[in-house]
Amino acid sequence: MPRIRILKYITLGLLGIIAVRLFFIQIIEHDAWVAKASEQHTMLETITAKRGEIYMMDHGEPVAVVMNQTTYQVIIDPAITPRDKLQSTLDKYAKDYITANLDEVYAIEGLRYYVVAKNVPYSAATKIAAEGLSSVWLKEGNSRVYPEGEMASTVLGFVNADGLGQYGVEGSLNHILTGKDGLLRTISDVNNVALSIGDDNVKIPAEDGQSVVLSIDRGLEKGTEERIAAALEHSEATNAAVLIMNPNTGEVVAMTALPNYDPAHYGNVKDASAYINQVTEVPYEPASICKNFAYSAAINEGKMTPDTTYFNEHYVYVDGWKIDNAQMNSFLYGEIDMRTALYWSLNSGSIQALKFLGDDPASINQKGRELLFDYYYNKFQLGHNTGIELIEAEGFIPDPNEGWGRDSTYANMTFGQNLGITMIQTARAFSAVVNGGYLYTPTVVKGVLKDGEIVALDTAPTGDAAWGTPTSARVGEDAAAGPVGERILTEQTSATMRSMLINNRDYKVRAGIDRFGYAVGGKSGTAQVVRGGAYDDTFAELVGSYMGFVGPAGELPRYVVMVKMWGEGKSVGSGDAMDLFDSLQNYLIDYYKIKPNL
Amino acid sequence: MRKHKSDLIILFTTLGLMALGLIVIYAIGPMRANVLNSTYGSNYGANDFFIGQLRSVAISTVAFFLAFKVIPYRLLRRFAKPIMIFALALSALLWVLAAVGSSLAKCELGECRWYNLGPISFQPAEFLKLALVIYLADFLARKKEEGTIGRLREFWLPFGLVCGASLALVVVAQGDLGTGVTLVAIIFAMLLVSGISLWQFLIVFFAVIIIAVGAVRMSSHRMQRVDAWVATLTGGESSDSTYHIENAMLAIGTGGLTGVGIGNSVQATGYLPESINDSVFAIMGETFGFVGLFLILAVFGAMLMRLLRVAGHTSPPDERFAVVGVFAWVLAGVVVNIMAMTSLVPVTGITLPLLSYGGTSMLFIAYALGLTLQISCYTSREEVKNEDIGSRGRLRGAHYASRRRSA
Repeated sequence: MPRIRILKYITLGLLGIIAVRLFFIQIIEHDAWVAKASEQHTMLETITAKRGEIYMMDHGEPVAVVMNQTTYQVIIDPAITPRDKLQSTLDKYAKDYITANLDEVYAIEGLRYYVVAKNVPYSAATKIAAEGLSSVWLKEGNSRVYPEGEMASTVLGFVNADGLGQYGVEGSLNHILTGKDGLLRTISDVNNVALSIGDDNVKIPAEDGQSVVLSIDRGLEKGTEERIAAALEHSEATNAAVLIMNPNTGEVVAMTALPNYDPAHYGNVKDASAYINQVTEVPYEPASICKNFAYSAAINEGKMTPDTTYFNEHYVYVDGWKIDNAQMNSFLYGEIDMRTALYWSLNSGSIQALKFLGDDPASINQKGRELLFDYYYNKFQLGHNTGIELIEAEGFIPDPNEGWGRDSTYANMTFGQNLGITMIQTARAFSAVVNGGYLYTPTVVKGVLKDGEIVALDTAPTGDAAWGTPTSARVGEDAAAGPVGERILTEQTSATMRSMLINNRDYKVRAGIDRFGYAVGGKSGTAQVVRGGAYDDTFAELVGSYMGFVGPAGELPRYVVMVKMWGEGKSVGSGDAMDLFDSLQNYLIDYYKIKPNL
Repeated sequence: MRKHKSDLIILFTTLGLMALGLIVIYAIGPMRANVLNSTYGSNYGANDFFIGQLRSVAISTVAFFLAFKVIPYRLLRRFAKPIMIFALALSALLWVLAAVGSSLAKCELGECRWYNLGPISFQPAEFLKLALVIYLADFLARKKEEGTIGRLREFWLPFGLVCGASLALVVVAQGDLGTGVTLVAIIFAMLLVSGISLWQFLIVFFAVIIIAVGAVRMSSHRMQRVDAWVATLTGGESSDSTYHIENAMLAIGTGGLTGVGIGNSVQATGYLPESINDSVFAIMGETFGFVGLFLILAVFGAMLMRLLRVAGHTSPPDERFAVVGVFAWVLAGVVVNIMAMTSLVPVTGITLPLLSYGGTSMLFIAYALGLTLQISCYTSREEVKNEDIGSRGRLRGAHYASRRRSA
């Protein structure tokens, strides 16, 4: 056979093999390759919805306290990006934002994509881009900025690295702030640049989150924190929480706790308890502040008046337990009226109110317990979520007919022990005591911003979901289900209570602390701390509270102020809390320019 | 033998393929420019690659007609030895320049294969292919005439020296396995038809195969390519090494029966490496589909068959050997390139003749094809008989001695 013919057959054979192979790939395997290609070529890009901003009020105008800024991730291809120039560029413009050790990144073989810096601001990102480094991408993203720094951090919360709101308003209103991400599906080139090739490209625009306007007043909040800080300097206490609300609407105008944390660097916090909102998430024993509620119940039931008397012995025996009064001045011994008992915060007085409730001035009975429970739990809604737009804890109120030592438990409850309620619950109930008898749902949200206008927020969480996600306590069972603006006390009861609370502070007027022309009332509370299941009678640790109101003389109170001060292992009496209240109520008068009735 | 018309099929397939290459580069050149600009920060204009290819085609067409009509093969043959020495010297000089780090040597990915001549670059290995074809055609014809083919000292020694030097310069010094494969194909095809005894041919053939396998095993990056090839064949895990071939097959596979049409290639937008050079066949597969590729394959097939026919009908051994050399050159390019793109063999980095972007390779293969056209003007009507029986050389060619060319 001529050898050229051998070449001919070899050629034909090879071309034949190729033709068959092509048929196999292009015809038989075609669909599989198309599927694989679509996987590789289709770019599915989430169009990130902008997170809503958070505003506070400032003299009637909303001002942003949590804002967004566009930041950038710096992404490199270690196989191409020149290492030394990258290092010098990053050091020059974005030193604080470097998230990777370049030595380690470049040591990884085959690595083609790595994020080397995060949260780089626009100005630095443009400078990095101008350096023209090969294979450096700048990916746009968002981060939160806090123009007010640490202010109100436990109320505002923060946004974590995944863009999820945590704690505070960021956590509880996450669903409103978040918005809905859009989607872009398109054929793209190898650098993920969209191509016009292909006809099934999809673009769903993002729905940005709504901006929330809080009822909290920025200036007042700031001033309040300054006063708290000053108070802490002169106190044993290390912590303090303050709530200021309008008792006639339930609107919160200031809510904060110190120490704060820096939400921009929330990760630096050592103990996650720093994130917790002390006003709504921590049930505690507000102690003698609760005497207001026991008194209100007995007066409202017509069982007593401020002038009703009883015999004060400085102590009361209940269930074999001796309950002492804190004040044992000799002039208080004997027949005294209820007004005096409240003025001196006598435990025997509030226990007497419970006895009156049961129609037996000599002892506590079932009827008294059940009535007190009805007022505490059903009317004042203590031990319930209040429905405020924040993460809440429920706390608890003991059952009147179950468990051992019910009488002593209920005796303790009249002066605010043996129960667990939050500051917001206490302040809400106290508001009803002084506002004419109406229980309102407290609110911290004015609305959402739509085209510059504040529109009411109507997307309350449905079902058993409360605001945000509960952490420790049961939340949501009956949130927002309680009475809203419902009358729970008579006008007369409320007026009587107001007069007694104002009477409590008559010496403050004499001392020039409470100004003339204003009605300022209040009640202190000093709680022992439960240690190892029993009250610590050494009084080594005390939590001091003060609850009061301020308004023009002869009018309904304008603001209710609650102060709580404490410190671990510190004995903080109600005196420190009262001092802080004194300065805050005067500050409120000045801040809101409340006119006196002289 | 009287001069007659040249082989029209070789003429038109050559020009047709160059035109097709131009169209494809026109369609995907802008994408290539875009990818390079955004990835490496280069500054290519949208039409730079098309203009480059246009220039290559123009120069190659001129070379094609120079070889076809102007420069007589006889003249070339007379200078076969100096041409060969010059070609080897060019490659050797490049090696030296690269070793001393001269800017005249242009290197990419650690391999120095080009002379840097300002705006253009020149690949001496392409010239070496042409030189080897011309030299071996002359050498084999002389040895055949002398009747010394197959003898150790007169034949194998000089033959081995020239071929060995060529391969060493290309494969070892320039690290260019693709050109090496082409050289081997040229050498063995020409050797096969030279009239060497079959057993000698087979011994040398297998010896070279063993050396080649050994060399591949010794080189880690070549073993990597083999491993990648095995991985794509057996459905193994994807890696950086398999990326190229997977994306070539992806391009071909998505083409289906009729392709996505010109300008609609997605793989050319950066997914497929070397989309305008070594991988252009895969882009054509995506663009024109099975029908298009089959036609391209048929065009190459027709050209190769015609080259063999010209060889078969050419009496002067040197001319016949030269045509076979050119045939092997084209065949190696087509088969190795396409088989690599379809994962039938490991990737070697070889351009597709006349279609791939690239100046030097197109220039010399066009010249070589022009040369075969010149030779095709003197074919006889019947196939030359017994052309490959070496012993006939001992008759000192008297049988054909009267044949002289009029040109």
